[in-house]
Amino acid sequence: MRTLLFLLLGCFLALPVAAAVDGTQILQKVDRNLEPESYESYRKLIDIQPDGSSKDYVLYTMKKGRDKIVALFLAPASDKGRVTLRIGDNMWLYIPDVGKPIRITSLQSVTGSIFNNADILRVDYTAEYNVEGVEEHPDAYVLSLKAKTGEVAYDKLRMWVDKQQLLPATIECYAASGLLIKTLHFKDVKDFGGGIKRPATLETDSPLHKGYKSVMLWSGLKKAAFPDEIFTLNYLPRIEDLRK
Amino acid sequence: MSRTARWRRAIFVTLLLATSTALAADEEYRFEASEFARTPYEIGGYAEAEPQYFRLNPGSAGYNLTYPDGAPGSVHGITGTLELYGKYTVDIASVRFRAHSDVERYNTGNDENNKLYEGVFSLRPNPGFTVEAGKQAFQWGKGYAQTFVGFVQRPKDPDDPGLAREGYTVANADLIRNFEGPLQTVALTPVILPVNSNVNSDYGSFGHTNFAAKLYLLYRDTDIDFMYLSKGSRPARFGLDFSRNLATNFEIHGEWAHIWNAQTSIVDSTGKVTMQVGSPTNYMGGLRYLSERDTTYIVEYYHNGAGYNEEQIGDFYGFVDRIFGQVPPGPPNALQSALNLYQGGYGRPFAMRNYLYAQASQKEPFNILYFTPSVTTMVNLDDHSFQVFPELLYTGVKNLELRLRYFFVVGGTGTDFGEKPNSRRLDLRMRYYF
Repeated sequence: MRTLLFLLLGCFLALPVAAAVDGTQILQKVDRNLEPESYESYRKLIDIQPDGSSKDYVLYTMKKGRDKIVALFLAPASDKGRVTLRIGDNMWLYIPDVGKPIRITSLQSVTGSIFNNADILRVDYTAEYNVEGVEEHPDAYVLSLKAKTGEVAYDKLRMWVDKQQLLPATIECYAASGLLIKTLHFKDVKDFGGGIKRPATLETDSPLHKGYKSVMLWSGLKKAAFPDEIFTLNYLPRIEDLRK
Repeated sequence: MSRTARWRRAIFVTLLLATSTALAADEEYRFEASEFARTPYEIGGYAEAEPQYFRLNPGSAGYNLTYPDGAPGSVHGITGTLELYGKYTVDIASVRFRAHSDVERYNTGNDENNKLYEGVFSLRPNPGFTVEAGKQAFQWGKGYAQTFVGFVQRPKDPDDPGLAREGYTVANADLIRNFEGPLQTVALTPVILPVNSNVNSDYGSFGHTNFAAKLYLLYRDTDIDFMYLSKGSRPARFGLDFSRNLATNFEIHGEWAHIWNAQTSIVDSTGKVTMQVGSPTNYMGGLRYLSERDTTYIVEYYHNGAGYNEEQIGDFYGFVDRIFGQVPPGPPNALQSALNLYQGGYGRPFAMRNYLYAQASQKEPFNILYFTPSVTTMVNLDDHSFQVFPELLYTGVKNLELRLRYFFVVGGTGTDFGEKPNSRRLDLRMRYYF
């Protein structure tokens, strides 16, 4: 009888804790705090090699809704005019010389860096992942995320979310085998204006590429509205026209 | 606090500390979007030098017809190329161009080419509607090495399928609509392509205004295209293609095309030419796979229903042998006939029925940065002759691309690759983008 009473008391005490932390709501807030649902931004990707040498890429990005995103390469000259498009799990690369979009996959990297195509063309986390568990720490929530389908680049994520700002600090990305593929470090929280305050720097390293580091920097991030037609293969050669 | 909780907290604090420590080192990263503000015009391009060496294949049909007056045992020299592109945009209107110039200096002779590959005026009243006129290079189809559904474009060079190609003078439109549900996108591209002695004179017979169209669908995560070309300068044809990602590292694609009343020149071993009329069907299927070791495999099978069978191609080689079995080669009208047939169909890539194209490329092996070696082969599945070319690509210097390739063919007398004009080829392409 005493055991039963303890169990009931334990369940009663546990209920408010479970109800207080809704992982899905936290993830939704993380998505919106990182970017508005529809936005434009400029990004610089820096690949740093073990010998200290680096290679830079600059992209102009437009996103609409939860899962449509397009990125235009502005630099270097050898990549200028390339466009990558993502709609849900579908990804394409348009190369001006080749003149036609080709399908690419999420684990490839159009820049050849540790950032793969899924990182460069990231859509909302809630579009790709379900929250399987949440741990509450004094300064952070730790979300355990599981991919909704087998077409998502990483099978599982462990996301450390700053409790105050509801922004991600660190994300560990795992393959289905449990192998740690890479770790993403969000840094340098900056006010972009228009109510957008988020990390301006993302660094990644990977145990699979020891000594290598890739960095993504944001600038000019702001809310924007786009017609659906620009997120189509036929529009890719004309994406540059949309830049203001 | 339990031992597990203490452990997790320690990990979290370590991660935060690592984050803040690295933050201090982030001062070196600076990026301002204003540095990349848009201008109404843009211009770019590349300059390239490509020394080449060809070891010729004396006695082959390709050698005899390419060098009917004879040639040294090898051809060597250099090709310099300049390609410029530009675009000027005002409101809904834009003009763009791509110009190509090359200079060839070889031991067998010199040559120069200057061509406007593209020059297009474009009007886009709204994002879902564009009209264009001018010289335009379409790229229909999903095949890497070749396409059967590129009805209004020049054929690819299977040795360098990524090269820009000259377009045709056309008027075209683009209509795009998006939807919710399994059918996400519909896009229609109608094209008008006139042919006369001054415009698109190499497309087909003169005096026709040809109509072509492509309908694109994104349906249930699959790209699907339907293409049509009306009867005119070329026989009418219909085609379709598709591509789809099956996994995060695996893509498949395919094409199918049917041509009505296609005419093919067939020659027998005596030199008698007949015109054969048929309605061939062509198709291809391919895949691209990225392995865990960062090796990318591309494999494609091509069935060219309009191609020559082994007997037909054997008759052609026999005819060429008869001409060049005499001293001097002749008679002249037979030589001219053989040259016309070689340039018209017998000498083109994928001239026969069944081919396999395969490529394996490895990203940065042995930790050599920006280095991608690959090996590509094209196999004639009918006579089992083939071509192989290993390639080394280095992109470690900003805007500079270095590519070294070595080609060799394997095939006996009377086979597709055994009758090519060259048996070996070495080229080094040095391309600088600006």
